Amino acid sequence: MESRTAWAFLAPSLVLIALFRIAPLIWGAQLSLTDARGITPGDYVGLANYRELASDPAFQDSMSNTILLIATLPVWVCFPLLLAILIHQGVPGGRFYRATYFLPAILSSVIVGSIFNTLLRRDGAVNALLKLAGIAPVDWLGSSSTALISLIVVQLWATFGMSLLIFLAGLSTVPQDMIEAATLDGAKLRHMIWHIIIPTLRPIIEFVAVVTTIGILTSMFGLIYVLTAGGPGTSTTLPEFLIWLELGKLNRPGYAAAISMVLFALMAGLAWAQIRIMQRNADV
Amino acid sequence: MKYLLGTALALMTSAAMAQELTVWDWKSGDPAAASYIEAAKTAFEAAHPGVTVNFVMQPNDQYYTLLGTALSSGAGPDVFLMNGGAQAKARFDALTDLSAEAKGLAGLAEFSDGATVHALPITIQGFVVYYNKTLYADAGLDPEKPPTTWEELKAACEAIKAKGSAPCFAMGNKEGYGAEFFVSALAASMLTAEEQAAFAEGKLAWSSPKMKAILQAFVDTQTWGWYGEGANSTAKFMDEYEMFMRGEGANTIGLLSDVAHWKQFGEMMGPETIGAFRHPAPDAVTLAADGGPMLPLAGGIGYGVNKAGAHVDLATDLVKTLADAGPIAVFTKDAGILPANPAVDTSGLSSPTLTTILPWTLGAAPMAHANASAAELEALHQQSQLLLNGETTVDAAAAALDEVQAKAH
Repeated sequence: MESRTAWAFLAPSLVLIALFRIAPLIWGAQLSLTDARGITPGDYVGLANYRELASDPAFQDSMSNTILLIATLPVWVCFPLLLAILIHQGVPGGRFYRATYFLPAILSSVIVGSIFNTLLRRDGAVNALLKLAGIAPVDWLGSSSTALISLIVVQLWATFGMSLLIFLAGLSTVPQDMIEAATLDGAKLRHMIWHIIIPTLRPIIEFVAVVTTIGILTSMFGLIYVLTAGGPGTSTTLPEFLIWLELGKLNRPGYAAAISMVLFALMAGLAWAQIRIMQRNADV
Repeated sequence: MKYLLGTALALMTSAAMAQELTVWDWKSGDPAAASYIEAAKTAFEAAHPGVTVNFVMQPNDQYYTLLGTALSSGAGPDVFLMNGGAQAKARFDALTDLSAEAKGLAGLAEFSDGATVHALPITIQGFVVYYNKTLYADAGLDPEKPPTTWEELKAACEAIKAKGSAPCFAMGNKEGYGAEFFVSALAASMLTAEEQAAFAEGKLAWSSPKMKAILQAFVDTQTWGWYGEGANSTAKFMDEYEMFMRGEGANTIGLLSDVAHWKQFGEMMGPETIGAFRHPAPDAVTLAADGGPMLPLAGGIGYGVNKAGAHVDLATDLVKTLADAGPIAVFTKDAGILPANPAVDTSGLSSPTLTTILPWTLGAAPMAHANASAAELEALHQQSQLLLNGETTVDAAAAALDEVQAKAH
């Protein structure tokens, strides 16, 4: 009887997951094995799309950009963590900072992109400030050496407020008596962060790291679209943008599905590895 | 009872007779196109009682993604709008044969595979250089005598550069369209008709001397300082054109098509401030009848019939109406389009710029980029940005484009 009730509660979620997650995934995997061109279903071509990916310079560039992006992950986690700790420690105006940091998280990426398009363009406000300081203007979005890093900074600005809120919620679970005891023993803030806060927040840090990884790999399309259109060259092309390009502009759903499957495998692998690492550390 | 039965029967019959045609486009919400759409809808529905036409406007940037998904799942519209060239050619498999309805229309090459016409063009499109006469006069140039040769254009740009108030050309290449327009504008005079045909078939490589010369000219013009800083972070639509209208560029390569820049620029800057000329090219081998550069011209946008649709015959009639001289005359008058239907009278369009341009459309050259594959164009967008930044060489860019071209054909 109990088991039947449990299944009854689980069934709606299971149906939704099967219908909107598992089925499209299987359909996408199937599509990636065809040469579908958008009108006809396409013929089965085996792993030809995946073989083509291996020699596609645009895909290789998008993967290099992805590696670079993932390499910045510590910043995405540490930056909001540090600010959350400071707010939690009661810096003056903490509530104001909390609201201000969170504000961009409620803006759509297209709005954020439009704002920074105005700020970062060659004749924009950032370069006007640099000029006042006697520094030569930079084409932030039009130069291959600065475009990706500009995108990363904008995305970080737009999303770190959410991580900050999660950390603030986590910080409220850190035992106050331990903090007080450490304070009485003369511990400095950095000692408390390293020996009390971080070990207590480990599951929260793990959660933020996984969610952020997935976020930066799948939610930057709007910004790329508005700010750089993937360029210059392929310097800001990430797999998700390439999927849109192959699907919408080049009319190759089969090939786009193959990139999607690689992106899915990459995200699943990264999430699994992160959870394993955190669990192993937790056992130490 | 009898009455009830009769009413029910009448309702059923009218429901069976009522037919609906769906048209997909990205234009019907545009106020400039509203009167044309209304004229075509009214004319068609009057001629086909009981048939309703629904125009569904899709977002421009996702149009082909949505269309492809709908067509592949058998849920496509009866009629759909498309750009001529690569986008139309990619959808020939889904379209009916409209050869019989296409007689007399211009710009058919971009909607045809040589033997069969798959869509009826409603506009033709071309590129001209629009220039700001005030900035020309300020630079000591005769505003009524725009450049007709490459050397004259170089001299004009030198004079404008020396004056220093604005770059010679407003340039937006964020999406790579600046380079796309430049390639077609120069290829019109630098390639022979045979070379244009070979390029369309993928047989004239990007590494051929002619195509490399065009890429080199793109780099040279950047080196000579024709463009303002930040071209790769400036969108051609509409940042470049807004810059031009603000007087932050003496020239811009603009459109004649369903987007009528001669009209927009004239309304914004005053018709007396705007002039137009055909883009000169280095080592021109094809010249117009008046000895000037060639105007690149092609079929602009056109409607096709989905062969999987439920009402193919009706949809064919609808496309005929949409391309008919009556509604197109309304579109021409209200939006200033360049019509593909020669029966449309354009004499009512009063603009000194258009009066200058219209004679150039006779005996024009093909629009090279419209005949390149979508993959080549995407690669051109990317390589052109690297060329402008000095991050690649013409040889390396041409080699990369060759590879994509070989794969696409």
